[in-house]
Amino acid sequence: MSTKLEQAVHALKEQIDAPVASFLSSCVHCGMCAQACLFHTETGDPKYTPILKVEPLRRVWQQEYTFWGRMKKMFGLAKPITDEFLAEWEELVYDSCTMCGRCSMVCPVGNDITYMIRKTREGMAVSGHVPDGLVGATTRAVTIGSPMGVKFVALEAQIRHVEKDYGYKVPVDVEGADYLCMLSSMEIMNFPEYIGAIAKIFDHADVSWTLSSKAFEATNSGIQIGVSDIAAELVQRIVSEAERLKVKCVISPECGHAYTAIRWEGPNLAGKKFGFKVRHILEVLDELRQEGRLKTEGMKDNRLTYHDPCQIGRRGGVLEQPRNLINMVASDFVEMPDAGKMNWCCGAGGGVSTNERADEIRLKSFQRKKEQLEAVQAETLVSACSNCRIHIEDGLEAYHMDIPVISLTETLAEHLVDKE
Amino acid sequence: MKKHSTGARLSSSDDTLGAALRRQGVSRRSFLKFCAATASMMALPPTMVPAIAKALESAKRPSVIWLSFQECTGCTESLTRAHTATVESLIFDSISLDYHHTLQAAAGHGAEAAREEAMKENFGKYLLVVDGSIPVADPGYSTIAGISNLDMLMDTAKGAAAIIPVGTCAAYGGIPHADPNPTGAVSVADLIKDKPIINVPGCPPIPVVITGVLTHFLTFGTLPELDDLGRPRAFYGQSIHDRCYRRPFYDKGQFAETFDDEGAKKGWCLYKLGCKGPTSYNACATTKWNDGTSFPIEAGHPCLGCSEPEFWDGGGFYKALSIPTTEVARDALYAGAAAVAAGSALGMMNRARSKQAKSEHEKVSVDDLQKED
Repeated sequence: MSTKLEQAVHALKEQIDAPVASFLSSCVHCGMCAQACLFHTETGDPKYTPILKVEPLRRVWQQEYTFWGRMKKMFGLAKPITDEFLAEWEELVYDSCTMCGRCSMVCPVGNDITYMIRKTREGMAVSGHVPDGLVGATTRAVTIGSPMGVKFVALEAQIRHVEKDYGYKVPVDVEGADYLCMLSSMEIMNFPEYIGAIAKIFDHADVSWTLSSKAFEATNSGIQIGVSDIAAELVQRIVSEAERLKVKCVISPECGHAYTAIRWEGPNLAGKKFGFKVRHILEVLDELRQEGRLKTEGMKDNRLTYHDPCQIGRRGGVLEQPRNLINMVASDFVEMPDAGKMNWCCGAGGGVSTNERADEIRLKSFQRKKEQLEAVQAETLVSACSNCRIHIEDGLEAYHMDIPVISLTETLAEHLVDKE
Repeated sequence: MKKHSTGARLSSSDDTLGAALRRQGVSRRSFLKFCAATASMMALPPTMVPAIAKALESAKRPSVIWLSFQECTGCTESLTRAHTATVESLIFDSISLDYHHTLQAAAGHGAEAAREEAMKENFGKYLLVVDGSIPVADPGYSTIAGISNLDMLMDTAKGAAAIIPVGTCAAYGGIPHADPNPTGAVSVADLIKDKPIINVPGCPPIPVVITGVLTHFLTFGTLPELDDLGRPRAFYGQSIHDRCYRRPFYDKGQFAETFDDEGAKKGWCLYKLGCKGPTSYNACATTKWNDGTSFPIEAGHPCLGCSEPEFWDGGGFYKALSIPTTEVARDALYAGAAAVAAGSALGMMNRARSKQAKSEHEKVSVDDLQKED
């Protein structure tokens, strides 16, 4: 067995593909990505420039795949990749990057920097320079089945409460259902109302759906920590269940990276084309709206705004659907500056919220969200990601702001007309 | 030209420039035209024209001391060129030229007395113009009234507001400085470090450049912006090549190969005949010579690069700066093909490395995430 450092270099070497080589060769060092990064704008510290975060990957590329880089390495002139170097970069790669994708949007030469940071994490993860919180979450995800250590018995208990409170049946392991609904641990433990809302809406619209007792967890710690092998294992659990239950579509819950994991990275990780569709819950709800299957009554009349979760909006393309749905139930919907595909990240995605060491910078970076909210004098904030929601609530408390943060799915459920 | 007959002093320094110009019959209109032309030549905004006019009108004619050392008097010839009574030359006439041993009527002790008097009277305010290089190996090579060039320069420089080395000899050593430099000739800037120096090189320099520098000094009381060789950017900012009317032939690859071939007759580029235009910075191609008649390249001769340091030792006037020794197109094709081959070989090598790295992949499990002790 090789040392962890050798493993890291090897992992980075494996990650370098044609896009990475062309991105690294085309960087013109303009620094525009810095202006797009929350962690740079809110701290002013140039070390948070996104392209600098991929330095471990860049060094390996230069020393392994470029002529002059290899010459330099041969003569001992190249900057070495050492444990100290990787240790220094750990904070940059994990604590101060939410993989929100804003840097990739502004790069004038079209470099997908987020793609490279994701790849850099592959090397960092095996090097041992990775936050304890993420290691813990990933270990729990693999061994227990959920990063928060939630077992099916806990979900069963929540289902019983929900069925009692809402009066709707929550189907589990129903073979042949149209939709397999995934959840995040965050919803199970902190926002069980989401399960109630889904049950209510699907009952209202006569949707055939089910949960799975074997794969209910949609989140994927493998994606966040940056280990494709683990990410593939976690994705495979969902794929197996979807196939076993013969569903037509898997619904990703109100969670950002879960959507990226199953919809965009999923087939690549599983190594095959899925025999079912993957949709985000907002996409499903908007389809129901278009088909006229959602009847609502009453409008929220306070000033309401929507926070686009990065993985769902910018990275996932689900931008119109939430707005269509909000307009059904809100009369004073306002858009924050930069809303939509250039929305600012809440500051806690990409594993940052799992990493306690990053708490300080996470809350510091919240200033940007605070400014956005103040600009429109929002009275209520709607979002579609439990992670964003928890962190925004945390940030609002830290900055002494009193704005309720609500889930779009739950809000919609509240306004449904009762079935005759 | 040599109208001055006031003995030791060429003209009175009590006059203003405006008064002097009017006395010489220069109309207000042609005066303003000169101001506008100077402004545009020095890349100053048109709004500066009235300021220049006003400054020149009321400027007390500056005292100028002109020292000639190891030189050929070509610079003086150039600057006092009087083909027509241009405003430039009249301005030049109208400075209070207190010492210039080629032009002044006085001789011997009288002449030196005039220099000393001007220095005393205008100490700290006069402009010192120098043409010719200064021999430092043996001062005996060039002396004036028994004073070595070095001593005279150092003595006269003390009270100067600014020094204008005129011509390449004074600016960079010029021809006396050329290998093997028997007299140990050096430039003014080699010797004087504590005064503002504006180099006006050229062999000889263009007359309008010196009047331009004087105008700038009179108008703003400051020196113009200089390049890294101490030359005013307004005149030496662009290469001859960039402003050459034969440039299109260069771009098309049409060159005169000899002085009497078809290309030469058709006026093609003189690059292969040794033209130093690409490396020479001067205003010849725009202001031209002899009242705007032409400049060397227009007369069919390559540029010698006379406004550049070491121009005499540049390896031969008729030797091209650099010429490909083989067929360019063919070689470029070979080089391109070789580059493509090398590129794809490297690419294939990289692909193999990447593939190998992937095949050596060891599956990562949660156990691998634990830290090393």
